[in-house]
Amino acid sequence: MNRLNQLTEIHQSGKPYIIYKSKKGFNLYTNFSKKIILNNKNIKSFLTKKNKKKSKDTDLFIGFFGYELLNNLIDVKIPKQKNLNFPKGIFYKPEKKIKLSNKLNYDFENFKSGNFKININRKNYTKIFNKFKKKIKSGETYQIKICTKYKTKSEINPLDFFSRLSNTNLAPEAFMIKDHNYSIISCSPETLITKKGSDISTKPIAGTVKKTKHLNKIKALNYFRKNLKETKEHNMIVDMERNDLSRICKVGTVKLSKQKIVEEYKDLFHYVSLIKGKLKKNINNFEIIKAMMPGGSVIGCPKINTLNLLNNQEKENRNIYTGSFGYIKFNGDMRFNIIIRSILNFKNISEISVASGVVVDSNANHEFNENFLKAKALIDLFK
Amino acid sequence: MIYVIDHNDSFTHNVVHQFALFDKVECDNYDKINENKIKHASTIIFSPGPGNPKNYPITSKIYKKYKGKKKIIGICLGFQHILFCEGAKIVEQKKIYHGFQSNIKVITNKSLFKKGKIFKVGRYHSLKLKEPFKSNNFEITMRCLNSKVAMAFENQKEKIYGFQFHPESFLTINGNLLIKKILSA
Repeated sequence: MNRLNQLTEIHQSGKPYIIYKSKKGFNLYTNFSKKIILNNKNIKSFLTKKNKKKSKDTDLFIGFFGYELLNNLIDVKIPKQKNLNFPKGIFYKPEKKIKLSNKLNYDFENFKSGNFKININRKNYTKIFNKFKKKIKSGETYQIKICTKYKTKSEINPLDFFSRLSNTNLAPEAFMIKDHNYSIISCSPETLITKKGSDISTKPIAGTVKKTKHLNKIKALNYFRKNLKETKEHNMIVDMERNDLSRICKVGTVKLSKQKIVEEYKDLFHYVSLIKGKLKKNINNFEIIKAMMPGGSVIGCPKINTLNLLNNQEKENRNIYTGSFGYIKFNGDMRFNIIIRSILNFKNISEISVASGVVVDSNANHEFNENFLKAKALIDLFK
Repeated sequence: MIYVIDHNDSFTHNVVHQFALFDKVECDNYDKINENKIKHASTIIFSPGPGNPKNYPITSKIYKKYKGKKKIIGICLGFQHILFCEGAKIVEQKKIYHGFQSNIKVITNKSLFKKGKIFKVGRYHSLKLKEPFKSNNFEITMRCLNSKVAMAFENQKEKIYGFQFHPESFLTINGNLLIKKILSA
């Protein structure tokens, strides 16, 4: 039986499974022997518990931390919000792993959906934008990302959506979760944590430009370098990520190993840096997660004050958005992304959240439109 | 030992790592200050942070208590904080510098650094010192080449120093040297 038939068979069997982008293709994880629903009480024991030594390549927990859980972890409280009661975080222990190629072919299936509605209109967005701009002028935040959410009723097949998404946009942190009562489809481009032994790195993206016939990689680099707003936003994120790594790394080991390079994707260019460090002795994964999450590049800076400003503004729970998906191996190695460019399907509702940054010289109309552009690639899957 | 008082900032641990190149460093947030650690410290650092010095009365108390008794260094908000305690007004500026690399110049021969020397530095500040400002023993020693905004002060007599820019930023060239000189002064 070839691998794609296996995928179809697993999908049709109805059992939960997860697909995660690997270097050469995708890995599929299934036959879950444990499912851990995380909350504020059990997260610490989950992250500090020693598991038996790794012997198989399924000796890992794979899943996600939602945004609220990550806030609570660093003592940031979220006021009462409209809430779907979606779990705050879930991890699975797989017993089976299958390697898949980059080409996921799945026969197109019919789906039902309505029209997506945005939770903040242009007028209200501009109000929030101007309010945050004042907060920047008074120094309470240096950069803040306003989040908007698009929602519709839907009945979809996540594998069909994920296959189509991956065929047009093969993102390095793409993943899909299909469980009985929810699914997530993501083409996240951003790696937050890569940890192997005592080596740890993070690779923030700050700056995105759409690919055109006339814009090649070299011209994209020039565009970013000349664009003062993109440069300043990026600099700030680099210093913030250096800071977060410095909390858990040995003095003198935090290094900017790739500074402001351009990475090319199917439809766009990203402005990226890579920061590495060596972990201090006796640092555990709980402390690492606390130091690094939620990932700063999608929140703003400085982290705590900016989170508080956002949480007091937002009327609806972010659920998975700006949380993290990834795995923790039994030997302690980890890989986590930032959950952006994702669709959450829960209770027959599909939701897509996007955000873009307010810095002192950004413009409300432009950022509102950029938010829509980011959502559009995902909304188009429903056509 | 150097004691760093954090103001909930996302750059403080860069400061910690930079000072840790020269001495043992302890760091606590301003709402969890440990006076016992301060007593054992030779130097107190006020970290960068969001907002205005007037939002952090605890830090002002520490400053007044240890001024002249221990070396005190302020960075960004910390720079503003020390000046605020010395009676200065800290005000919003028209052009805001966040993630910005600037050239700054040593403007006086009363500085530990050579007059006329230019540094490339990283800046993250919405607010600035309102001038004219005068206080006993305090000397503005560096200014932005373009805007002339105050970028550093020194009080050699009481060993109090401040930088409006961020010596720990990757945008600052030779930041470690600046810190080394201040620490050995």
